[in-house]
Amino acid sequence: MTKLLITEITRMGPAFCVIGLQREKDKICSVRPVTASANSWLHFPYQRGDVLQCELAPFSGAKPHIEDRVSTHGFQKESRVPEQEVVTYLRKAEIAGSLPELFGCALHENRNGSGLHAMPPEPNRSICGSETKNLRLELCANELRATLVLSSGEVLRDLPVVDRDWRDFIEAALVEGRGANRVARLERFLNSQFHYKVLSCPHHFIRLGLTRPYHDLCWLMLDTLFPLPKKEWLEEF
Amino acid sequence: MAPLTDENRWQRLVEECFRLEAGAHSAIPDPAQDLIETGVLDSMGWVSFLRALESATGFNELGALLTQRRPSFESIFQAFKDAQTASPSRETDLPRAGHSVRGTGVFVVSSSAVVGSRKIPSEEVDRAFHMPLGKLRSRAGIESLAYAAEDENELTLGARAAQQALQIAECGVPELDWIIATSETHRGYPSLAAQLHSQLLARENCGALDVGGACLGLVNGLAVAQGLIASGQARTIAVITSDVHSRTFKPGQVAGEFGGLFGDGASAFLLSAKKGAAQRHAYALGEFFFGCAGQYAGAIRVAHAPNGNLDVHFDSEALSRAAITRLEKVVREIELRSGIDRSTLQGLATHQPNPRLVTLLAKQCGLPEDKFPVVAKSFGNLGSSTCGVALDAILQSTRSDPGEQLGPIFTASLGPGLLFGGGWLVPA
Repeated sequence: MTKLLITEITRMGPAFCVIGLQREKDKICSVRPVTASANSWLHFPYQRGDVLQCELAPFSGAKPHIEDRVSTHGFQKESRVPEQEVVTYLRKAEIAGSLPELFGCALHENRNGSGLHAMPPEPNRSICGSETKNLRLELCANELRATLVLSSGEVLRDLPVVDRDWRDFIEAALVEGRGANRVARLERFLNSQFHYKVLSCPHHFIRLGLTRPYHDLCWLMLDTLFPLPKKEWLEEF
Repeated sequence: MAPLTDENRWQRLVEECFRLEAGAHSAIPDPAQDLIETGVLDSMGWVSFLRALESATGFNELGALLTQRRPSFESIFQAFKDAQTASPSRETDLPRAGHSVRGTGVFVVSSSAVVGSRKIPSEEVDRAFHMPLGKLRSRAGIESLAYAAEDENELTLGARAAQQALQIAECGVPELDWIIATSETHRGYPSLAAQLHSQLLARENCGALDVGGACLGLVNGLAVAQGLIASGQARTIAVITSDVHSRTFKPGQVAGEFGGLFGDGASAFLLSAKKGAAQRHAYALGEFFFGCAGQYAGAIRVAHAPNGNLDVHFDSEALSRAAITRLEKVVREIELRSGIDRSTLQGLATHQPNPRLVTLLAKQCGLPEDKFPVVAKSFGNLGSSTCGVALDAILQSTRSDPGEQLGPIFTASLGPGLLFGGGWLVPA
């Protein structure tokens, strides 16, 4: 049995992708449980910070998704650790401060529009943590995008935000029942309180991930943004 | 500025940006078609398409305005219309599809360029930097470099270029309302613009302004001058670039792979609200746009080290990749914004980090290499003056053949950051 601390739950379309941390001797490394038939989960009733007992089998996932492991049995929740402790562990796992260090390869800008990508099989991993100097979220035509500065001063622009909790928060902010001018109110929140709440938080931390190869390219995305949003923030705007 | 009612122009621009994302031969979807639901674009492609469109039109709120709307052409056109209805006077924020091929009423009256008077074969520079002989020639394509002589510096080179430009335009120094200078090597005060002001004996109430941006300095300077003239605050402005790298990037201070690429030179452009009487062929400035691609911030960094040397971080591979990708992107954006087809160009005054990259850029842009004047190959990378020397060369070539049908000129450059900017000039 393996103990897995759930650190990432991302959402793209209807499915969830999950990543956790596993202790291997004196190292802490990321592991992505997948099903035997798919890379994602249609139902995943756990939260970040949950410690799950599971059984994971090695899986010959294509580079750069070397963290893939097949989950052979169900998960059993053993305990839960608080958010700041999750970040403490994430800071001991894969981490980088500059663009070339993130995935151990060059990252290329989209020649036509926005976004950054790596060329498989160049990246040597598909997930990496980082500190940021600044971060901004914005809505672009219903899509949540992040722009951030790494500690190296390099700027990553227009990253798709796939963090489940942040996406749920944005969707909740836009539900019809919340009254008029919802988009404008959300934008105001993202341009003001968000900055204070997220960037001044001592456990502010991000994890960046690479998509699976899509038209031969792996696109960079913001997998996780700590702190996670709180429901009560919705009352503030 | 294209009027918003000119839907054919928007249509063209939207289609061009769509095809950048979906593929050159993609069928244009029905206006009402939901592009994501019908699988024409995924959500990343949709955002990428909108970003390209924002960039090409200068309508930066497009993405924000499309929140809670269907991802379709129809929604885009509606957003254009809504923007116009909400703020009919805010022309700069509105789509400029198929921008009419015209200038902005600011003319380049004359130009001039000078380079350091010592011509140094690149092998001599290889030797000075303790590099294998022939490295600069074979790897970067540099045949020789222009180095300043002992009695030359940023001030003397810049002043000489400015005096020549004034002379060509038959313009007296007292006519100057502003001197705008840029240099990536001049350090200290009085600033270069102030020194040029004194050297040229400009009127006391002629302004002197230094602009930064390193290799982007000329484009920055032209845009600032254009703004001053267009707003009625000035009539005649000299924009001057001057760079003497050979005293800054010296052997022993920086690696030869970096320092060996640079030469010394200057350029000057006289801008005015009216065409010069002495000018047979005149060009008017079009529009400029700028930005900063911060993902390349780590590719080049220059700082003063505590021991007095320069601390240069130079990732040549990343910088080359960035330079080609960005310059090509800027060229495409100028094309989209101006509506000028690149095949009609008189030439391109771009930054030339080294001659090999010029060859690659020409190939990427699908243009013959002779559209890019030879600068880096003979003189080295001249910093902010590279673009200036190239632009002057194109303008000079138009003067040598008065019967020739003139084409527009594109200018595009980069600076550490990675700053980027570009614009166009059209025959007046």
